Amino acid sequence: MQALEISRTALEVEWRRLEIIAENIANANSTGTVDGVAWRPLRLLSGPRADFAALLKDPAAVRHLSGVEVRGVVPIDAPPRRVHEPGHPDADADGYVTYPGFDHAAEMVLMVKTARAYEANIVAMGAARQMYTKALELGRRG
Amino acid sequence: MSIEPIMAIDPGIAQLRPDAIGLAPVGLSPIGLSPVNGQSFGQMLLDGIADADRKMVDADRMVAAFALDDSVPVHQVTYALEQARLSFELMLQVRDRLLDGYRRVMDMQV
Repeated sequence: MQALEISRTALEVEWRRLEIIAENIANANSTGTVDGVAWRPLRLLSGPRADFAALLKDPAAVRHLSGVEVRGVVPIDAPPRRVHEPGHPDADADGYVTYPGFDHAAEMVLMVKTARAYEANIVAMGAARQMYTKALELGRRG
Repeated sequence: MSIEPIMAIDPGIAQLRPDAIGLAPVGLSPIGLSPVNGQSFGQMLLDGIADADRKMVDADRMVAAFALDDSVPVHQVTYALEQARLSFELMLQVRDRLLDGYRRVMDMQV
């Protein structure tokens, strides 16, 4: 059942990643925030749960593979987009409105990748489930 | 043209023996009626049933949680259901084989 558990952790991570992308797209045109600081697009960081160095040192650690986990959500370091719109209520003293430094194409690419990774993990899970079910048939009569 | 002598297998491969990577060697354990790890066979079966039951209760709870609040990711629900189904099927298989063994003993001509 470990294979299923590993795939489950990946589903969890990809789901969160999609939520972050949805948040970015939703805020693509945000001009103001509650605290006044321009909103910055977020990135979800993920990494293996098991310590890779420990895996290399101790081959027995292979038995304790535990999938992937969310390492954190950080704002990306992109310069905000400043647009001259003097009539805008969120415009600053010089008439500039600050939009998030949001890369539409990159976000879409990441979204498709996330959706495909999610699907791939579902398929891996299905294969593990199929193998388990087949193993139950081993030695069954009639 | 000379033929290369057969080389010795890379000693590194010896490290891939099952016991080296932590897998228990497959083989018959000595037959004995003494409980394994202080646990009788019956207790093992009961534990298995309790485990399957727990997974079904978990799955039930997930379905209820999903019905009330769809912020629960749907894969958590389907995963719990699948886990419950698989452990239930394992339980059924164990039961089938036990019953089969029992029946064969009972059918024995004396």
